[in-house]
Amino acid sequence: MKISVQINASPYQHQAADTAWGFIQAAIAAGHEVYRVFFYHDGVYNAARDSRPPSDERDIVKRWSTLRVEHNVDLVVCVSSAQRRGLLETSVAKKVAGYEHALADGFRIAGLGLLMEAVIDSDRHITFGE
Amino acid sequence: MILIVILRLVNKLKTIFFVIDKPIHGNVCSQEFLDIALMAAAFDLHVIVLFEGDGVNALLKNQQPETLGLKQVSPVLSALSIYDINEVLVEKESMELWRLSPEQFVIPVTSVPRVELSQQLNSADVVFSF
Repeated sequence: MKISVQINASPYQHQAADTAWGFIQAAIAAGHEVYRVFFYHDGVYNAARDSRPPSDERDIVKRWSTLRVEHNVDLVVCVSSAQRRGLLETSVAKKVAGYEHALADGFRIAGLGLLMEAVIDSDRHITFGE
Repeated sequence: MILIVILRLVNKLKTIFFVIDKPIHGNVCSQEFLDIALMAAAFDLHVIVLFEGDGVNALLKNQQPETLGLKQVSPVLSALSIYDINEVLVEKESMELWRLSPEQFVIPVTSVPRVELSQQLNSADVVFSF
């Protein structure tokens, strides 16, 4: 089954990112294709490059980057949600003095069109976090 | 009508159901999700929007979000019909709870009792709830 996932909540404060992570691992292990993860609302903080959790805690951001490398999952961050919250990627950051690329490796920034594409192309689209 | 059904089958157009159950100015959620609804319509998907619970207040006329430094949502609601989103449903029980009637709303809506909504939700391919 072709599956797309949407995450609406920030990491650490809410369980959504952890539940989604567990779900995606289980789905891939069961032979399903997880095609895209779309980060929306506060979910965009899952892509924060400068996130540095204490060393004895799970590194949620790095975990997503690994998912991209190991399973080629498309990690898409909503551009308007990200800009609202100060997470700018290079092309935008350059225009605003003092900002640098804010997204961790493996993430890309895009619009709601890619969310729609995921909804249309997937057999199931599952949202985590309200 | 039959032609539309055939076109839908050929293009495998999905029906997307949006459930708005939170006050629209309390956070950015409802506004960002209305953006998804417009995007879905722009992708020619069949969009149905349902207001229930506290979400019904979003439809009220004469709101003054400017006093809180927020943007008006009514223009987005009025834009729904421009995007061919003409199925705007309101849960009858929620409307009664808030003692509201469709004449108080900025756009025309269809009042649907709770028992009939589950049937409609079941027929949707994707449900976004927030």
